[in-house]
Amino acid sequence: MTTDAAKTPEPAAEVVLLRSVSKVYGAAPHAVTALDDMTIGFRAGTFTAVMGPSGSGKSTLLHCAAGLDRPTRGQVIVDGTDLGPLDETGLTLLRRGRVGFVFQSFNLVPALTAEQNVALPLRLAGVRPPGAEIRAALAEVGLSGRAGHRPDELSGGERQRVAVARALVTRPAVLFADEPTGALDTRTSREVLALLRDVVDRQGQTVVMVTHDPVAAAHADRVVLMADGRIADEMTAPGDRGDVGGAGPAGLRLRAEAIAVRMAALEGSC
Amino acid sequence: MLSLDMVRGGRAGFAGAFVALFLGVALVSMTALVFTSAGPRVPARYAGTAVLVRAPAAVQADGSFLADRPWPPETVRLLTDRLKAVPGVVAAVPDRSFYAQPVIGGRPDPGRVEGRPWSSAALAPHRLVSGSPPSGDREVVVEHALGLAPGSAVTLLTAAGPVPYAVSGTADGPGLYLGDAAAARLSGGVRVIGLRTAPGADLAAVEAAARTAAGSLGEVLSGDARAALETKADARTRWIGTQVLTAMASLSGFAVVFVVASTFAFGVMRRRRDLGLLRAVGATPRQVRRMVRGEALAVGVAAALAGVAAGIALAPVFGDLLVAAGFEPPGFSVRITAWPPAAAFGGGLVVALLGTWSAARRAARTSPLEALREAGADRRPMTRARLLLGSAFTAAGIAVAVAVAGTRPEEIVTLALLAAMALTVGIALLAPAVLPPVVRALLWPPSRARGATWTLVREGSLAAIRRTASTTAPVLLTVGFAVLVTGMVQTTAGAFALGRTAVVRAEAVVVPADGVPGLSDAVVAAAGGTAGRVTGDTADGGAGSTAGGVPLPTTVHPDGMPPQAALGAAAWETGGSGGAPRAGTDSPGEAGRARKAGDLPQGREGSGGPGTVVVARWVAAERGWRAGDTIRLTFEDGRAEPLRVAAVAGDAPAAFLLPRDVVRAHDPSALTPEILLPGPAPGADRLGPLGARALGPAAYAASSRDEDDRLVWLFTLVLVGTAVGYTGVAVANTLFMAASGRVREFRVLRASGATPRQVLGVVAAESALVTVMGSLLGAAVALPALLGIRSGLSRRVGASVPLIVPWPAVLGVVGACLVLAVAAGVLSVLGAARRAR
Ligand SMILES: Nc1ncnc2c1ncn2[C@@H]1O[C@H](COP(=O)(O)OP(=O)(O)OP(=O)(O)O)[C@@H](O)[C@H]1O
Ligand SMILES: [Mg+2]
Repeated sequence: MTTDAAKTPEPAAEVVLLRSVSKVYGAAPHAVTALDDMTIGFRAGTFTAVMGPSGSGKSTLLHCAAGLDRPTRGQVIVDGTDLGPLDETGLTLLRRGRVGFVFQSFNLVPALTAEQNVALPLRLAGVRPPGAEIRAALAEVGLSGRAGHRPDELSGGERQRVAVARALVTRPAVLFADEPTGALDTRTSREVLALLRDVVDRQGQTVVMVTHDPVAAAHADRVVLMADGRIADEMTAPGDRGDVGGAGPAGLRLRAEAIAVRMAALEGSC
Repeated sequence: MLSLDMVRGGRAGFAGAFVALFLGVALVSMTALVFTSAGPRVPARYAGTAVLVRAPAAVQADGSFLADRPWPPETVRLLTDRLKAVPGVVAAVPDRSFYAQPVIGGRPDPGRVEGRPWSSAALAPHRLVSGSPPSGDREVVVEHALGLAPGSAVTLLTAAGPVPYAVSGTADGPGLYLGDAAAARLSGGVRVIGLRTAPGADLAAVEAAARTAAGSLGEVLSGDARAALETKADARTRWIGTQVLTAMASLSGFAVVFVVASTFAFGVMRRRRDLGLLRAVGATPRQVRRMVRGEALAVGVAAALAGVAAGIALAPVFGDLLVAAGFEPPGFSVRITAWPPAAAFGGGLVVALLGTWSAARRAARTSPLEALREAGADRRPMTRARLLLGSAFTAAGIAVAVAVAGTRPEEIVTLALLAAMALTVGIALLAPAVLPPVVRALLWPPSRARGATWTLVREGSLAAIRRTASTTAPVLLTVGFAVLVTGMVQTTAGAFALGRTAVVRAEAVVVPADGVPGLSDAVVAAAGGTAGRVTGDTADGGAGSTAGGVPLPTTVHPDGMPPQAALGAAAWETGGSGGAPRAGTDSPGEAGRARKAGDLPQGREGSGGPGTVVVARWVAAERGWRAGDTIRLTFEDGRAEPLRVAAVAGDAPAAFLLPRDVVRAHDPSALTPEILLPGPAPGADRLGPLGARALGPAAYAASSRDEDDRLVWLFTLVLVGTAVGYTGVAVANTLFMAASGRVREFRVLRASGATPRQVLGVVAAESALVTVMGSLLGAAVALPALLGIRSGLSRRVGASVPLIVPWPAVLGVVGACLVLAVAAGVLSVLGAARRAR
């Protein structure tokens, strides 16, 4: 499947590609255009932050890119597969195997333990996951001692880390996260962001994250600024060439202050 | 595997579905077990006789329990002779019975009202404990338990009056036994001949030979088939019991289907967010569907099994209650058979799965984004299918309610129930469309007040209108049932009372004393013979009264017809309207009926003299008889007589009107039900020893309804108790489920500054709102059916019947719902309200 994308003459493989995607909510008089003819790609092994004022269409972009929702117009290609022709089951199977998703909150099934939550995608796929694998995934996010706890027995940061572990357990082509630190304090946010940065650096994972926080965005290799359903601005880390694991040392990263300035400019212009 | 995890973890949510199905299956399997046990039994008095022959029985109309046609005396002799000759038969014993009631300590014994010839004691068999068999005309053998020693004196009330007897012996079973000849004089005809067989006789051979001997004259019964010999009284009690059980089974069956289906569907709806999350994480629609159904199956099997066990345990208790209430004959016991519980189990499971069926389809279509959406806010509360189905049920319900008004009397109740059920389903389906205006109307004044509570309640109920509809449904059902059942019973009873009170124009009424089945001729003589106007049968809701003569009811057997009720009365007085025999002209029911000119004799000559009969118009029409024809009637003693039709009466109180002495001659055990007197009644000192008492008109109108009222009241209790009790539990159940699913929401409320009391206030107010709306809709659902019943009854009685709804009782049910709903809601969020996390 990836071969198609690999054949396209682009510098590095675009794991996710949106071509002229529009999303309109509602009907004629009250229609809201959340995405307006948007074209964007996310290359393998990169960490992208999507920013923009509230209502600019960030969540909508993520939902369309992840196959959680269907665009009104345009084409979405995930890991070489065009989502357009897929039916609901096909979409689900693709999501299950190739896409991970972390929401701002309510990520976990309350009735299941952390371990069961992490194992859920595999079990839905009909695989009986070895306990060791699941425990390793939990250990990866630093929660080896919490396997048997239910969501209401975990802190907010721990819950988000369980969610990340679950999103990664199927080794997806891309991980989407919609304000994963939105409900967390600074310290726990930093833990979750470090975790995301880590999987990009060590495993070459592709990550796309929506955030309002310039500090969070500074963990990314690339920042896309959206306004009114379009790309308004874009920043790339100095050391990033789009290579796998290409994030440079801290000095080569984007600076939160710079991002904040661009954001302010964008919001001022609106 | 996956689904079972979710069941275990989501225990709270499934408890509701479990409880609904558990109680439902318990209720249904209990009712079904009792229902299937309610077959006829071999009467104890024939228990010791392997082979019996009975007179051929005609099929009677449903609810008619008149005595079957006895053999003519010659046939009895012929049959006994033939049967006696069968090898292995020692004796062929004709069984007869007559009215006899011992007076013990000055009171007629209510439990012993039947006398038999001593020879038939052997059929049970009952044997002598002490003394000797009765001989002569004035000796009796009594049950040993009565405590009378041989040689002591006892007074027996008979159809003639009190008669002194001497106890010759005591027997080890119930019954009063006279010598065969004495018994024969008091009895009517013979319907059963029992064969006493020699020890070791080949019963199959005896049976076959008896069949040949009897030919077409009699039906040979053996083994369980002997149950056909149960008394008509027991058959009638069982029939009433079957009516009760049928009504109960259909009402509670409907309640169970409704509650279980909606609870299971609601259980799925509550977890929309979880299901969305599963979809987002990678569950395919098919997997979600299968999971939801798997959960329903797991919960369903557990709950239905537990329910069946409870049903089996409770069935004997319920059976005993029915016997105590008089809905099943004494000796009734519940037989535990396999299929009723099995059917309840399977049915419960199917209903649970069907309830989840569309919910599972809906769940499978859940968008993965559902997990992200804020709770509440139903975007499409009414699907098109739901709208169509709801409208169809509502329309059908209204159509049936209209049809009730014009239907046959015996179908009124069935159709009314059907109408109410269809309307209940229709309105429950339409609730998401119907409720918003109701919420707005009800909460418009309070939500303009200062506090936030009512605004929160209003917006909360409107946003989650499907949840509001789900919690309203059980209240709707409960109140709808309560209004319908109590209103139906009261309106019907009121209509009958209307018919009855209209005829009481007497100064005094002589009625049997407590426990006495009827009045003897001695009472009639004491009350002044054939004095005054007299009531007849009042079973029709309109009463008949026959001018002149105290009517004596009996059963006659016209050729080619099932048994019919007949009344014997002395020669008619000439009434005010042209000398016609007037019958029952005072009741409103009769006034409404057209009277065809020419049916009644113009002169006085045909006034029911000897050798004549007056025939009810419907019988005459059915048989093509006209005044002047001669017809043949067979009487209670098995003898037939040709009678000239003196008149055809459009409003006769019975199928046939006969001279009183003719009835008495053929039916020695016939008893007079009551005597209406134009003047003062004889004193209690005279009536008391005769087993009678006198009442004023008011006391009469009240007392004559006592037994009926008691049964009707019990009937209502049973129905309301089971159906409404069950739905009441469903009210608590659903509100508990609804509130416990919203704990997160209430925490947010706490976090935004609401005090625990305010949170509980919101929950209590929502529960109250749901109860009020459910009650309004419930009343709305029941009213069309009640109006249908009213116009049906009005047509039948011929007068406008008032619609009686016992509002205090209904308000009691509403109050109970309110308490249940508020308590369930508040209890389930108590923990969440305290913590502000
Ligand atoms: N289900 C929906 N129905 C109608 N309109 C919607 C829906 N979801 C989003 N919108 C509208 O689409 C636009 C984009 O929404 P979106 O959620 O993508 O914004 P966002 O950038 O994620 O905002 P935020 O930063 O506040 O999360 C908004 O104007 C929003 O009102
Ligand atoms: Mg958003």
